[in-house]
Amino acid sequence: MSGKFTEQALLLGPRQSLVGIVTRPSTPAPTAKPAIVILNTGVVHRVGHHRMYVTMARAFAGAGHTVLRFDFSGIGDSDRRTDRLSPVNACLADIKEALDSLEKSHRISQFVLVGLCSGADYAVLYGHTDPRVVGLVLMDPSIPPTARYYFHYVAQRLSRLRNWISVVTGRSGLIRLLLTQFFYGARASRTGGLTLESLQFDPYLAQCYRDSVSRGIRMLAAFTSISPRQTYRQQMLDAFPDVHFNDQLKLEFFPESDHLFSAQKDRSKLSRAIMDWVGSALGAGTLAQVPKSRAFN
Amino acid sequence: MNPLYLGTNERRIFGIYEPAGPQANRARAAVLCNPWGSEYVYAHRSLRQLAIKLAACGYHTLRFDFFGTGDSGGDMSEADLAGWEADAVSAIEGIKDIAGTARVAVIGLRLGANIAAAVAARFADQIDALVMWDPIVSGEDYLHALLAASRPMSVAGDPDAVEVDGFVLTGTMMRDLKTIELRDVIAAPPSRTLALITERLASHDGLDVVVTPPGSKRLSIEFLPAPCPWVGSVTTSGAVPVRAIQRITEWLE
Repeated sequence: MSGKFTEQALLLGPRQSLVGIVTRPSTPAPTAKPAIVILNTGVVHRVGHHRMYVTMARAFAGAGHTVLRFDFSGIGDSDRRTDRLSPVNACLADIKEALDSLEKSHRISQFVLVGLCSGADYAVLYGHTDPRVVGLVLMDPSIPPTARYYFHYVAQRLSRLRNWISVVTGRSGLIRLLLTQFFYGARASRTGGLTLESLQFDPYLAQCYRDSVSRGIRMLAAFTSISPRQTYRQQMLDAFPDVHFNDQLKLEFFPESDHLFSAQKDRSKLSRAIMDWVGSALGAGTLAQVPKSRAFN
Repeated sequence: MNPLYLGTNERRIFGIYEPAGPQANRARAAVLCNPWGSEYVYAHRSLRQLAIKLAACGYHTLRFDFFGTGDSGGDMSEADLAGWEADAVSAIEGIKDIAGTARVAVIGLRLGANIAAAVAARFADQIDALVMWDPIVSGEDYLHALLAASRPMSVAGDPDAVEVDGFVLTGTMMRDLKTIELRDVIAAPPSRTLALITERLASHDGLDVVVTPPGSKRLSIEFLPAPCPWVGSVTTSGAVPVRAIQRITEWLE
């Protein structure tokens, strides 16, 4: 065990069914820092691809943060829920239970949610509903395609014969994307039935960002070169024209990295960027400005 | 299911203990050894299912992460095969204490199978059975495949190490891997042994005709087509090879 941190395995939640690892600094930080909660990416357990989240958790603990990595119910080592919640609602309920457990056992009341891909989507969907969440770190989150996105998408593929064949044979990803967007646009007023597969087209996503901003949540969005959801740097801002992020959103780009930050050097850069952002955006001064009396939805 | 840490402060080993089901009429125990690298990530779900199935069949089961991998302490720059064998021994001692048994079954997938076999050979008097699930046939070939599958990158501060598929392999670990030869185990199985092959490769040809010494009838080599849970794929990730798990538990019975 390193001298900088300690690790503890825990069973979280009212049914003690969520498996998590808490990494803590060996010497508590002189001032309280928000805890970092790292969410699963897809079906990969809490260790993350290339053990990315273990390394990240230890680095954060070395900088004075308590860190929780845990498995959603039915993923990794956590048991399935028995309450028949939809997959999305089950994960959102898991996050609340994990935060409740950490608040109770470690007396921590402020959290930063960290997620990649589906983990980022869950962070966005949950963060604005819980006043304890003060920050979101979103790696390649779902964002709606914009006109410029489609232009880039088509331009990148025009020269490939394979893509023309796909259009002719009706297997084009572009046509599928457009149809899905049209379908969801026509159902803008729908409620319930939320799925991650269609989240990028769902008006509720913009609402989540709007609520996050109004609640004072700070956000770091990191995009890789081959994010499946964005093709240019400002897409996130263009995609949510009605959300006024102001200085609450910072964008970071990792043009050399793949979606999973497979190379160690890319993971190191990512880790440094996140830690720098947490240090500057969520330092003690910033936290004091976050409204304390936000209602829990 | 209980997550726990074994080992020492300097070498903490993370494990998950699954207690035997209530219908167990005698205490039996099993230790599961993981594969390495991305194979470990993709196989996690299937090994969990195997552990749950074994527990339901009456085995107190412990699966664990080798030092420098998964939730265990350390990182890959500190890992070597001798250390991982010592981790497997710690896990065996741990489950013997928990279950109150003198002997255990050791089960390993891919590289974990070879480590399980090495430990079984050294501590034969404590091993009830050995299951090698798609073990590495030749360490040289395994290393070659790892290096060929992704563009190896240099590792800052260690000229002997390479990064393959996002994981660091030190010079020591590469030398260790090259020493692996499945034929050595098959020629002299340390205990009642099952080699379960679900992905038939050219290197498997002839394995079943290796001359084994008298008294080695306890070795069984079986070819059972099934999904490879250690391979990441859009279509099969998360799929559990039910037939392979079923066969392992049946054979142990």
